[in-house]
Amino acid sequence: MIAIRFEEREKIGLQYALDTLHGCSPFGIEKIRRLRFYSPEERAELETELYNVEQSAKAADELKNVYDKICLLLCQMKEIRGTLRRIQAMECPDHVELFELKNYLQRMETLIPLLQQMDEVCHLRDLTFHDPAAALAVLDPERTRSRGFYIPDSASPRLREIRQQKKQVEEELYHAETDARKDELRTKRTRICAEEDSEEMKIRQSMGSQLAPMVGDLLADTDAVGRLDFLIQKARFAVRYGGVRPEITDGHLELVDMVNPELCDLLQERGRSFVPVTISLDRGATVITGANMGGKSVAMKTVALNVLLLQAGFLVCAKEARMPLFHSVKMLFDDLQSIQSGLSGFGSEIVQFQKALDEVEDGFALFLLDEFARGTNPDEGAVIVQAVTRYLNGVDAISLLTTHYDKVAENANAHYQIIGLRDVDPEAIRRELAVTGDDGIQVIARHMNYGLYRVEGKSDCPRDALNICRMLSLKPEILAQIEQAY
Amino acid sequence: MTPQLAKSLAEVRTMSIVGMCKNAGKTTVLNWLLANSRQERILGLTSIGRDGESTDVVTGTEKPSIFVPEGTLVATAKDMLRLGDVTKEILATTGISTPLGEVVVLRARSAGYVQIAGPSITTQLRDVSQLFFELGAGQTIIDGALGRKSLGARTVAEGVILCTGASYHMSMEKVIEDTVNIYRIMNLPKAATLPPEPENGLEDCLKQHGEALVSGALTDSMVLPLLRSGLLRNGRLVVKDPSKVLLKPDTLDKLQTRQVRLEAVDAARTLCITINPVSAYGWKFDKDLFYEKMSQAVDAPVINVKEELA
Repeated sequence: MIAIRFEEREKIGLQYALDTLHGCSPFGIEKIRRLRFYSPEERAELETELYNVEQSAKAADELKNVYDKICLLLCQMKEIRGTLRRIQAMECPDHVELFELKNYLQRMETLIPLLQQMDEVCHLRDLTFHDPAAALAVLDPERTRSRGFYIPDSASPRLREIRQQKKQVEEELYHAETDARKDELRTKRTRICAEEDSEEMKIRQSMGSQLAPMVGDLLADTDAVGRLDFLIQKARFAVRYGGVRPEITDGHLELVDMVNPELCDLLQERGRSFVPVTISLDRGATVITGANMGGKSVAMKTVALNVLLLQAGFLVCAKEARMPLFHSVKMLFDDLQSIQSGLSGFGSEIVQFQKALDEVEDGFALFLLDEFARGTNPDEGAVIVQAVTRYLNGVDAISLLTTHYDKVAENANAHYQIIGLRDVDPEAIRRELAVTGDDGIQVIARHMNYGLYRVEGKSDCPRDALNICRMLSLKPEILAQIEQAY
Repeated sequence: MTPQLAKSLAEVRTMSIVGMCKNAGKTTVLNWLLANSRQERILGLTSIGRDGESTDVVTGTEKPSIFVPEGTLVATAKDMLRLGDVTKEILATTGISTPLGEVVVLRARSAGYVQIAGPSITTQLRDVSQLFFELGAGQTIIDGALGRKSLGARTVAEGVILCTGASYHMSMEKVIEDTVNIYRIMNLPKAATLPPEPENGLEDCLKQHGEALVSGALTDSMVLPLLRSGLLRNGRLVVKDPSKVLLKPDTLDKLQTRQVRLEAVDAARTLCITINPVSAYGWKFDKDLFYEKMSQAVDAPVINVKEELA
């Protein structure tokens, strides 16, 4: 089962994606808040959901008005599941509960034709509601279709009688002349009111018993309302960030021009744009290498984000996608490790790794290791990561590692490198720096190519550090020494 | 009750009943209003906070319960519903939560007693009034609670009934003085034009323009130095919210003698002042003397709840 911690959701931008959704009904909001991931065994359900989302996203323009109307209705729905469960348990519902239930059912009545309109265009699968007419008839026996909830006199002959008495005593009180008479009438009135209360309670109880057999269907409908709510939100998300419905594979993962919504929005705010990343992964270990600030982690997080989006029933943020379903997704990011464990950074990393590995070996998994063992000395670190990479080649998982260390890539099944500053002439940047006087880091960031390319054959980590030194005009004496030692 | 007063009470769309103290006679006034609106139009009724208990929680005296005619709209907390005996039609849930449950709007389908615990925030009160009008009410009455003089703010109600009585203080002079002070502040004249808002302090603004708009509280410590320096003489102060004028009666008098005009952005109307000469704590005022003195001190109609409304 996929279990993702809140910090992990935040880290990879999943929380950001969820925060852009605006669930309307309490049922939809709950579905978003308690996000559920489909397991590989639920592939059929997931395919249905993806089909529905794709259809709804395609029709988002045409159905904008319908979606708006549906959302408005959903926003007016109140949480009535507690009341339904109480009714199921044969407890007596009170006036306000019955009022809210009636309101909810009236909204369902309005929602059904809207869903039909949507369905005519989208041809949704497995999303239907029960007719609320029978339940409404219980709560509105006189078919007044009024918004309010009132137990009519006709609910029982006894109630009619009591209410007539109440009116009469009221009238008598109004005309009563002596205090003694008034007191007598007030006492009588109190008794009548008590009778009315107990008769109304009987009627509410009987309404509850009539509704009880329908509770199962009504609860199923609240779930369907939640799904519809979430569906429209997913469709709008797909429209906003360019979602595609992936082809589900048995192990191969390929994402063409994938993006990360959080970074897209962030970069857009700063007047820049996210460079889409293309990656293809198979069982075994894949290594991403590249310069610092080059976007290795971003590529990795975007893979994780899209995998989780898919398994939560979203279209994924890419141009094309072929993806398998995972039993679990495990990630080890250097800055997510618990510092409370008392171990050193490296020690706790190993503990975490060990724990994660146990789960990864439980079933087909996605395993992400960001700069593993970076906290130890480079020689030892390199040896450790090389061994881990070799081991992961044999594990039933897609493992993705980012590293600085030498000779890790040659142990992996595949090797990607950040394009980085590969195609940039250091002299050109030096000149640009001299002319513009801008902050050197920003100039380099501007020229950095965050794209990935697949490295065939043997290749070591790029030597961008030296280039960066050159661009930033490090003291010539030092630079000369570095060049000599290379 | 004069016909003019009856007319002015009927004219305002929203009215709040503000008490100087407990047992001032608020509920008596409210019941009178409810009984006399009979069949004329639908009333919407709510309160700020909890009110309408049959025994006063503080003094233990019997209090009149609120009795509404059939058709009245009532906004009260859910837990209060079972304490009333009207036949209920639930019309709306407001989403406003109180310690006694969500505020619910009901229509009384029979006459009867209700217990009211409405919203405790003035903006929520406004929302509830709005809802009453949408549901067909012709007038909204807000039952104020002790010490909530902010209900005099016109954003909440167009008209105010100020209730006072012997329970406020043993000295009749003190009761009258303090009531008149509140009355004066609640009835500041409406400013014809708005003076500039001070940018570098009140003093500077008065020096430049001879008048100023005060958006926050107006206190003695702000006004007295200005009076002493003579800056305020013949000047004008306009307050945004009269319920934030915290001046002592003495200071108000001083402003008047120095011909300083104190005005408000919006005009309020104290529709009438009700007096209760009997204290819940055991003492009594001479009802005629109390009535006479109060009538002399204010230019609004004065009503003795024990006689005229009983």
